Amino acid sequence: MNNAANKQTCTLGELMIYHIALSIEDGILAFHGFGSPLVQLALHLAKQSHAPNLILVAGATYGINPTPAFLTPTTNDFAMNRGAECHLNIEELFDLAASGRMGRMFLSGLQIDRWGNMNVTRLGNDGRLTLKLPGGGGGCNLSCDADHVTIWTAAHRVHADEKGRRRYRLVERCDFVTSVGQRTAEGLPRSGMPYRGLGPDCIVTDLGIFSFHGDGHAQLRAIYPDTSVEMVAENTGFDFPVADNLATAELPNVEMIEFIRRLDPMKIHERELSLADRGRSFALK
Amino acid sequence: MYAHADKRCPITELVAHIKNGDCLAIGGGLSWREPMAALRELIRQDINGLKLVGSAHGIDVDLLCGAGRVAVSAESYVGFEQDFGMAINYRRACEAGFVKVEDNCCYTLVQQLRAAISGLPFMPIRSVQGTDFMQLHPEFKTMTCPFTGEPLVLVPALKPDIAILHAHYADRHGNLHIEGPPVADILFAKASAKVIATVEEIIPHQELAQKGVTIPYFYVTAISEVPYGAHPTACYPHYAYDRDHTAHYYQAAKRGVDNFRDNYLKPFIHDCKDHESYIAAIGGKTRLAQLEQWHESTEQWMQLYE
Repeated sequence: MNNAANKQTCTLGELMIYHIALSIEDGILAFHGFGSPLVQLALHLAKQSHAPNLILVAGATYGINPTPAFLTPTTNDFAMNRGAECHLNIEELFDLAASGRMGRMFLSGLQIDRWGNMNVTRLGNDGRLTLKLPGGGGGCNLSCDADHVTIWTAAHRVHADEKGRRRYRLVERCDFVTSVGQRTAEGLPRSGMPYRGLGPDCIVTDLGIFSFHGDGHAQLRAIYPDTSVEMVAENTGFDFPVADNLATAELPNVEMIEFIRRLDPMKIHERELSLADRGRSFALK
Repeated sequence: MYAHADKRCPITELVAHIKNGDCLAIGGGLSWREPMAALRELIRQDINGLKLVGSAHGIDVDLLCGAGRVAVSAESYVGFEQDFGMAINYRRACEAGFVKVEDNCCYTLVQQLRAAISGLPFMPIRSVQGTDFMQLHPEFKTMTCPFTGEPLVLVPALKPDIAILHAHYADRHGNLHIEGPPVADILFAKASAKVIATVEEIIPHQELAQKGVTIPYFYVTAISEVPYGAHPTACYPHYAYDRDHTAHYYQAAKRGVDNFRDNYLKPFIHDCKDHESYIAAIGGKTRLAQLEQWHESTEQWMQLYE
């Protein structure tokens, strides 16, 4: 693809980064965690565009408002922390959340249920461990404490394994609840739990964007130019309502796309996407 | 309290403070400032049955699992992020039942350490209830707050037997200076019964005082000067993360237990009688110079990741 044509398109990764960024309010404190390049770029994009007063806390280094030299595949790296205005330590960051001063956190899961409960701890039921996942870091605590949570996953689309089994990312039930959503796995509303935060309010995936309905259920809010409600349903392990005003997600503008490409010259964020999804792109209007 | 004047010792003596079955708090985080040389020495000394506690970790915990030294993991995260993905030795050891899984979360760990530091039996937190960590940790209790009536979770004090850290500088008294993120090192040092640390350089107290004391000497049991002691993790500004070596490590782990033993543990740990022979095995001065030159240009820095 030549440069001129390249500039007229946006990739799936860039579209997801843009929509994660749109979930970030100006003036809040938000933390990008680690192992989350799409989110890391989204926070920098938000600060560069609509949220200049964002208090951006880098994951792992706890540096505030850094200007990374380039995105690295490892989060606790000086390259990610360059130019940080000041630093928190681990207890201060989590104290800020516990005392109600973290505006937004970003969490993902290998399993995500209809209420936004997630599992990044282990697969297997009845005490049997079939797959040990890396674990949730501070996600469990922050899912309770942060004001709002943006959920993201770049693996919504289900691929059958060699035995033809399809393992959903958006599941009927999590094998283990690492972080909490809008209702407990048993269906008890979040309002009955003693959390300070209000829980997840969106899920940005490789196929579309969900918001959460008044009853706490994920509801499809937007699809992408190359996806459909049927495709989302086919790849989701639970039934979900569709918003009356279902939209096709807006694309980022050229300046935003260029900003992302400058900050991530090694395309680290594409490592979150499947090989097939790395080829998806959308023509800018 | 460790009040003696001179904490210096060889790394073999330093690591001999760790006993079989100890609860070990490893400093650093992810690919940053892990006490790798000390962990390699721990493997050479045949120390076993460890319980590991920590926040977000990677190759340090994975290596100890790959060498069969871990009985229980209460880490919050063990992996290689988007760099290489899941921690293969750790996963394998957990799934085979060799390592008992007692995953924790960062703030829960912080509060448990703070209870130990404050001499209290527990600390309360509002989070965790409603998650499956309550089943994984039957020692966590709930209570109704006598002031507000809210239900709270009580997490017991955690006093690790030993914290093992890698810092940039120490003086001979054991005052430590860390540049960049301390992660949980300060909490670990204050909560643990013993603290051992490798450092890039031991310097006179006046020089150290000018840089600033991150961890006061009386928490620190013993120190060893081990330049490049965090390799292959980063110890900025001294040296960057050695991604090439980590890639070799990861590929060896991926090809199975036997392959990891033959192509990683043997050449880089068991066949290296000490840290100097390890440094020779990873490419010696030539390789170290590349890692030290990260700051010369952004292009040079980026090349370390390609």
